Amino acid sequence: MEFGPIFRSLLRNRARVILIVAEVALTLAIVANCLSLILDTRAQLAKPSGFDDEHIVAIQSNPFDDHLRDPQVLRQLVEQDRRTLRAVPGVRAASHTSLHPWQTFGQITAIRVPGTRGEPVRTQRAEADPGLFETLGVPIAQGRGFTEAEYEHGASAPLSEVQPVVVSRKLAEKMYPGVSPLGKPLADADESQRFQIVGIVDRFYNPFGETSEEAMFLPSRSASFDGGSYYLVRTEGNPAPLVPQLEKALLGVEKGRFLRSRTMVENRDEFHGRDRMLVASLNGVMALLVLVTALGIVGLTSFSVAERQRQIGTRRALGADRLAIVRHFLLENWMVTSFGVLLGALLAYGFNFGLVTWVAGARLSPGVVAVGALALWWIGLGAALGPALRGSRVAPAIATRNV
Amino acid sequence: MLLYNLRLAWKSVRRYPVLSALILLGIALGVGVSTTFITAYHVLARDPVPGKSDSLYYVRMNSWGAPDSPFRQDPPPLITWRDAQELLKSRVAARSTATFASLATVFPQDGARPFRQGIRLVTADFFPMFATPFRYGGPWSREADGRPEPVAVISSALNDRLFGGANSVGRTIRLENHELKIVGVLGPWRPRVRAYGLIGDPLGAPEPVFLPLNLAAPFEMQPSEMQMNWRTPLPGEEKLPYASQLMVGESLFLGFWVELPNPEAVKAYKSYLDAYVAEQKKLGRFPHPANNRVTSMLDLMAELRVVPPQTKALAAISLLFLVVAALNLIGLFLGKFLARASNVGVRRALGASRLTIFVQHLVECELMGLAGGVLGVLFSLAGLALLNRVYGDGPEGVAFFQLDVPMILAAVALSLLAGAIAGLYPAWRICAIPPARHLKSQ
Repeated sequence: MEFGPIFRSLLRNRARVILIVAEVALTLAIVANCLSLILDTRAQLAKPSGFDDEHIVAIQSNPFDDHLRDPQVLRQLVEQDRRTLRAVPGVRAASHTSLHPWQTFGQITAIRVPGTRGEPVRTQRAEADPGLFETLGVPIAQGRGFTEAEYEHGASAPLSEVQPVVVSRKLAEKMYPGVSPLGKPLADADESQRFQIVGIVDRFYNPFGETSEEAMFLPSRSASFDGGSYYLVRTEGNPAPLVPQLEKALLGVEKGRFLRSRTMVENRDEFHGRDRMLVASLNGVMALLVLVTALGIVGLTSFSVAERQRQIGTRRALGADRLAIVRHFLLENWMVTSFGVLLGALLAYGFNFGLVTWVAGARLSPGVVAVGALALWWIGLGAALGPALRGSRVAPAIATRNV
Repeated sequence: MLLYNLRLAWKSVRRYPVLSALILLGIALGVGVSTTFITAYHVLARDPVPGKSDSLYYVRMNSWGAPDSPFRQDPPPLITWRDAQELLKSRVAARSTATFASLATVFPQDGARPFRQGIRLVTADFFPMFATPFRYGGPWSREADGRPEPVAVISSALNDRLFGGANSVGRTIRLENHELKIVGVLGPWRPRVRAYGLIGDPLGAPEPVFLPLNLAAPFEMQPSEMQMNWRTPLPGEEKLPYASQLMVGESLFLGFWVELPNPEAVKAYKSYLDAYVAEQKKLGRFPHPANNRVTSMLDLMAELRVVPPQTKALAAISLLFLVVAALNLIGLFLGKFLARASNVGVRRALGASRLTIFVQHLVECELMGLAGGVLGVLFSLAGLALLNRVYGDGPEGVAFFQLDVPMILAAVALSLLAGAIAGLYPAWRICAIPPARHLKSQ
């Protein structure tokens, strides 16, 4: 193949070569870093809660009517609500809880194994009724859940009493590594309150306040006039169409309150909002960037073809076939793109270093650079193909006409 | 001369419509993408209280009393009710305010269905400190803080909803079971970064109701944002309402801001704070090493990463995008100009100087730059509309990210600059061509 002549002709068109090389190099560097950021972010986005997110709706109820200031009335209201929600057709399970999945809202507490010193372990803590685990779709893997009696008693239990708790597997392993955690005691950091592990759930992921997989559930009713009460409802099908019915049923029980319903998917999407925006933005920027670069290559190759009409004509007149002309331009383009890709790979690591040091993100993996490089090679060839084909159609007569 | 050059440029655009469209699209995409993401960065990173943020400082101290403290490096981000009350008594700072957010039900007078609103508890100094605009009335007095008087400042949106936008100063608003006298109505106010509430939801809209901090005790208002407790309620405290438990206990739920006009004042306040903490240590509080911080607002914003690193990364990436677009432009201009080198040869032979040719082509580049810039601004409006779908429109009906006039001017200037930089080399190349070579081949 004509590497020698092509290389020498490139040397005569330095401006064009430098432009394409710079463009390809910058594009590769940017695309590789965008890809790396996207992969990093998507890994976060893809992490499942372990709950049946698609079939859960969360309802916050906030009383405003004065007669609900009476704790007894409020307590009865919660019990009525629980029964009412479960009775709505299409509802699989309902729970009254203080766990707010995907809402960066909740309670974090520090616990320890009683009698030990040292750093307490931070964990999410939530109050739950016996129906929570069925509602979330996380079965008790070991031990048992709560009984109605425990739930009923929990809210008024004195601090001195040992409370039964269900913990996530992650927390159990942290507190009692290597031994069966069932029946083992736990305590607050200052040991003012004691707990006993009665059950374990395997799956739990709810990122909130630097903890995401550690959780401890207590049987208790967490309703107050100021804080309201929070219900999770698991439905048979898509929960969104059921929301009006659920709200109507609750308002039928008591009108003197506000309801705010959100599906868990809505909450999750909102939780991921910025990351999703980042991924979408990066995708958009990458697509536009590649488009701009491809346009640039098309443009520059077109001119190099237009400029060399007579040379092409001469070559054709001297016996080169069309394929040879196409091959010439594609090869030329491939050589230039390759320079760009090589330079771009180096530049990508440079950018990545800057990004990781001053802004954010993960280290660039060679695979990502390789994917970007391959893509750019093909895009470069694709962009050059059109102008090269046009060049091949130059008639040999051109060579004679103009001299 | 300029007009003539513009006419030539227009002719050249008409002669190569596809190529000109590509050039235009290239500039517009570069400007559009970079304007979008730089605006996103700019909206979050710009000074949230212009002219005042230099003198606003956030106060932190390590009052955590449990033996195990999660606050080894940085002190807790909030302070306790009792410390806030003590600091408020001091006049070492020109102005000071303690603040937390709450929620309460507003009962409209016409018997319409009540609604829940965010409440912000502050002291009178808050309003001048954070330069809140007033439409009617003004802040309450410091005396009203002390007693405390049942007064309120409400947002213009709430005023529209309750009073149809009329001057409601002197009228009352019912919050839960309390009647409050309205002393001020804010003007439209939607800082993108809620500077006074950086801990919590820094990008949220300001709460529609502002109340004197000291009403929190009689009204038993409990914080709706972060609260941290290390102490279990003492015997007897358990029976208190939750809000009172937080206040008598060691719960951390208040932010504390002071206005310190100069470095001496900062120094004076720091030593006051050190003395206060030393005194508290004598009383048996603050068991951990003293860790007092008086942090300027902008430093605190950086520390809390109010501008997400992703936004910074996108702004940086979009600038590089502009560079690629400019490189692309050089190539396209170069090709376009060289393609009509023979015309230039004729003009040169007829007596046009190199400078004339150079200027002619630069004018064409700038024309494309300007047109591309305008199109780019339109693109960025579309881009920002997409971003706003994620950040959401505020309750005041304003889009979160908006192009302001300086950003639009910057975008157009950027595109002119891109046009000039990208046009320089091609224009120089074309005017440097010896006319004879091209005349020969005609």
